[in-house]
Amino acid sequence: MSIESQTFTERYDLLGCIQCGRCTGGCPVTVRADLNVRRFVYDAYNEEKLEELARLAEIWDCTACHTCAVRCPKGLKPLEVLLGLRTMIVESGKVEPTVRDALQSVLLEGNPWEKARAARSDWMEGLDVKIAEPGVPVENLFFVCCTIAYDPRVQTIAKNLVRILNKAGIDYAFLDDSESCCGSEVYTLGEEGLFEMLVEDNTAFLNEFSATRLITLSPHCFTTYRKQYPDLKMPVLHYTQLLEELLREGKLTWKGDLQKKIVFHDPCYLGKQGDVYDEPRQLLKSIPGVELLEFDRRRERSLCCEGGGGKMWVESTSKKERLAETRIKDAKELNADIVAVACPFCVLTLEDAMKGLGYEEEMRVAEIMELLGEFVEA
Amino acid sequence: MKMFVCIKYVPDTSEAEVKVNPDGVSVDSSRFSFDINDADNYAVEESVLMKEASEGDVTVLSIGPKQSDVMIRMAMAKGCDRAVRIEDERIAGYDPLMVAKVLAGAIKGQEFDLVLTGCMASDDWQMSTGVALAEELGVNHASMVKKVEVLGGNKVKAYRELEGGLMEVVEVELPAVLTIQTGINEPRYAPIRGIREAQKKELKVASLDDLGLDASAVSAEASMVVLERLYIPDVVSSAEFIEGEPDEKAEKLASILVKGGLV
Repeated sequence: MSIESQTFTERYDLLGCIQCGRCTGGCPVTVRADLNVRRFVYDAYNEEKLEELARLAEIWDCTACHTCAVRCPKGLKPLEVLLGLRTMIVESGKVEPTVRDALQSVLLEGNPWEKARAARSDWMEGLDVKIAEPGVPVENLFFVCCTIAYDPRVQTIAKNLVRILNKAGIDYAFLDDSESCCGSEVYTLGEEGLFEMLVEDNTAFLNEFSATRLITLSPHCFTTYRKQYPDLKMPVLHYTQLLEELLREGKLTWKGDLQKKIVFHDPCYLGKQGDVYDEPRQLLKSIPGVELLEFDRRRERSLCCEGGGGKMWVESTSKKERLAETRIKDAKELNADIVAVACPFCVLTLEDAMKGLGYEEEMRVAEIMELLGEFVEA
Repeated sequence: MKMFVCIKYVPDTSEAEVKVNPDGVSVDSSRFSFDINDADNYAVEESVLMKEASEGDVTVLSIGPKQSDVMIRMAMAKGCDRAVRIEDERIAGYDPLMVAKVLAGAIKGQEFDLVLTGCMASDDWQMSTGVALAEELGVNHASMVKKVEVLGGNKVKAYRELEGGLMEVVEVELPAVLTIQTGINEPRYAPIRGIREAQKKELKVASLDDLGLDASAVSAEASMVVLERLYIPDVVSSAEFIEGEPDEKAEKLASILVKGGLV
């Protein structure tokens, strides 16, 4: 365990905490797990307790949704204390096999899904995709994301986007299979060394492309590139921001209509962490026939789906209702036909919850890009 | 306890499509991901656990290309002390006996108590290298080991996993070779900082000449194995769905099994 306690207190500004409890009060995970982040911030000041704290199972319950950081009146990031404790465990090597395999896969193959790097751009087969070349200027450089690149359920996001971009006739290019993980989940799983390596390698790699801006498909890549890549030479956007721009410019045209009630679920990494709330809603509202509903818990109060914070590789010990199930039940109460999201992790967690609850016949979980792909004239 | 752990760099063929090259005797590996052989990973962990439990020293041995250095560095990040990677195109790597001769050649002349290696490799599944290595070294061996206890008097107790859930317990006098079965432990993660730290440890790259081995004794000419042809088995579909009430289904199934000579 290599983190010195001195560094720990300074690093997370533990003395800055006034123990007001707004972090724990807003933490969505507390309803189903025994996690009290305020308590961790308090206890972590005691250097002798660090190793004991790091061994507590609940440090892995945090989904890194950042609600605690959004609510902290002192501008601290309580969740980072938990990530620091995770780092102690990761550096001892004694992590869950699923976490071990995901991290090792990022090192060896550039993705956490244990897939071969050579297969990263297989999703492009049959599509007319423009590929970026180093040094060749391009306005919109696209970063696909490991999950979207490999998981057939969410590959549609990238496929539909390509069709729309080709139709809109804008200057764009995608990266080929040399694209590597942004490190969002590596960071939240506590593998700091690997994350630092990814930041260094990806910064050098992406800066080689003369791109005006980097467009990410996943909010996790979006927030990570925006906030944790200080030397990246280009601004970073989420694809919903670009499409909303195209919408305003009249470059998206619709075929048919969608007579459905849609409720939009704000992904934590897009909303709370990226301040992007309106663009996805504008896109949905623009589809003819759509009635846009709103959750009570929306925008910065949106309920986390528990897909982030490395939770794709760590099962919670809690048997209580998953937050994704709570979310789907909320949507059901609103009589929504479609729960629209703008994040691959949200698709996977919410869809699982919907199927688990047996609502498949009456409801659908869809990424915005899936819907646009069906209704944009492309 | 002075140990050697022999590890192999293998392709993951679980998801990638396997294509035989036009030469008919090799596989197109351009789209595979490579990693440490699964059972060898458990052997590495077991060696490190034994080292942690009492004083010890572990040398990693591997025959493979430069790309496998990352796998070797990971083993050293977990606690192995040094490594020798043997790289020589003349080795008939498809023949476990030739591989065993090379590994034995790298070990002979050095003091050791235990050599650990995986019980099988996930590329060719021959399960022979470890046992052949013991023969080449002229030492005892136990294969498919699922648990090891170090006893006094220069012995270990090895629990061998047999079919049908049986466990055979044998006492093995050292020095010895143990081939390790998966599940003996839970291999740890090699963090990047540990891998970087392991750069300080020695990783020697050796050819057959460096090891003082006669290439003609471990090459294709010396091997009694002739690799004639690799092929993908034909896909045959003959699934039959048995319909009806449970008792009818059972009757139909029984009749099919009897007719087929399966019961």
